[in-house]
Amino acid sequence: MGAVLVHIDLDGDRPHPSSLSALAAGRAVASSWGATLYAALVVRDPGDRTSADSTGLGRIQAMLARGGADKVVLAMTDVAIAPLWSAVGGAWQGVIDQLRPRLVLFGADSPSAPELGPRTAAKIGARVLLRARASVSDDVELRDRDGGYVRSSDTGAAVALIGGAHATLAGEEDVDLVVLSFPGVADPRIELVGTTAAEVAHTRGALVAIGDEAASDPAVARDAARIATLLGAPLVGGPAAVRAGAVAAGGVVDRGAALAPEICVVIGTVSLDLAGATSIIRVGAPGSKGVDGALPAPIGTSLADLCRVLGGS
Amino acid sequence: MTVALWLGSAAPARTIRWLDGAIATAATFAQAEGHKAPVAIAAGEPTWLDLAADRANRAGLASTGVSTDLQLDYLGWAQVVAAVVRQIRATTVLVDEASRPERFPEVAAIAELLDAAQLTHVVSLAPDGAIIHASRATGTSLQTIRIRGSAVIGLRVAGAPIDEYPTPMPSASMKRLDLKALGLDPGVLAHRSLPPRAGQQPRLTLERVAEHLAVHVVPRSPSRSRGG
Repeated sequence: MGAVLVHIDLDGDRPHPSSLSALAAGRAVASSWGATLYAALVVRDPGDRTSADSTGLGRIQAMLARGGADKVVLAMTDVAIAPLWSAVGGAWQGVIDQLRPRLVLFGADSPSAPELGPRTAAKIGARVLLRARASVSDDVELRDRDGGYVRSSDTGAAVALIGGAHATLAGEEDVDLVVLSFPGVADPRIELVGTTAAEVAHTRGALVAIGDEAASDPAVARDAARIATLLGAPLVGGPAAVRAGAVAAGGVVDRGAALAPEICVVIGTVSLDLAGATSIIRVGAPGSKGVDGALPAPIGTSLADLCRVLGGS
Repeated sequence: MTVALWLGSAAPARTIRWLDGAIATAATFAQAEGHKAPVAIAAGEPTWLDLAADRANRAGLASTGVSTDLQLDYLGWAQVVAAVVRQIRATTVLVDEASRPERFPEVAAIAELLDAAQLTHVVSLAPDGAIIHASRATGTSLQTIRIRGSAVIGLRVAGAPIDEYPTPMPSASMKRLDLKALGLDPGVLAHRSLPPRAGQQPRLTLERVAEHLAVHVVPRSPSRSRGG
């Protein structure tokens, strides 16, 4: 049985929560399939490698061990770390070449996943699942919403971007550490010049939009904010929703702007161009063409129920 | 520098705004110094090729269509695109990654096959001689990036709002190619076929909607939630 490899992004000085969720899914898969679970991260070589603890890597290694990893791989590079294939792709490819995994997992909401996930798949000729979850059963498999799956009996490699929260199964405190070195492998064709805050119209993950009438109900506004928090989404609406205190001032989107989030939860009636959304869920409106799901019951009831069910997932 | 624009293998899922936006972005290269006229590429069924040709033609872009009824995965379509790109000797490939969700992995696959740099989620692009200036959306931040040399760039640029668009007529302006003319064996390419998937009915119960949303619930850091 080949290896299961999980890419770990860092969020400051600790593993990104989405990467840890992917690691938890990887643990379930690897245990079910009898595979070794590797957690690998690309880090900038500090130069002085007197000890892993001096750079905080020892703490990260311990967190990944507790997260279920059998082995932790540190890919050292002297390139500045950025969530771009051009920056970390060379070192990451070195990890892939070294381990030759059968299954590679990324946290779907981790910063590097859009750049590294599909390129990794293309390199190893793997199938791609863009937002998958691990099933809860004896023979664990990964499934996405479109009917794609990865099972232990499959031939060939697969890459999956793991969405949602997966419960961590506590692992060993002490695991093997593998350190690999990949000096000077950045792609000079892509140069990161700077970073600024994105506008809400550029949201590519989840988005929650609330209509003016719905925003005037404090209970609905509170539950809309809770759904947005659960999905890590900005809450957007019109000027009336801002005046009602349901939406922050920065959450007003120009009506002419085209939005292209992966998923949009629409509460009530909104005047936004959501035609770029991959998936749309309507609350307080019947299902219609182009809508992936709808809760047609009164908004207050539907939203409260959705908060309750999602909050426990 | 020659620019190719991959419009995809099927009509946009919801709107042609992203298609128009990608075409308009490619058209800016036609006026830029040192750039040859961009070429829009589409593949798939004839009705989609007619729409792609019509929208490209309205923006003054030449177009090439690959007729095939194959339903391929991201690597299969990338092979088709890479073959066309090699034939027209394009060095920069723009990809409309917003019109259909399955298009986004094709950016990386095309880049891999062409040994090119890649950049996904680009929301604005401006040619400047041999350099291309790009803005890339990544979560809550916007990256400013300079691109030099061969690259595949995934675009999420919207065109102007449009309620209705004229039904496209069969286009004589589109250069038509088949897989064999590109040196591709349909039998071999069929190994990258995707099984047809049944269309999903809208989810109308709380449980099914919650299940649909569950893959978007943001994981929380366990140690942070404990205050560590």
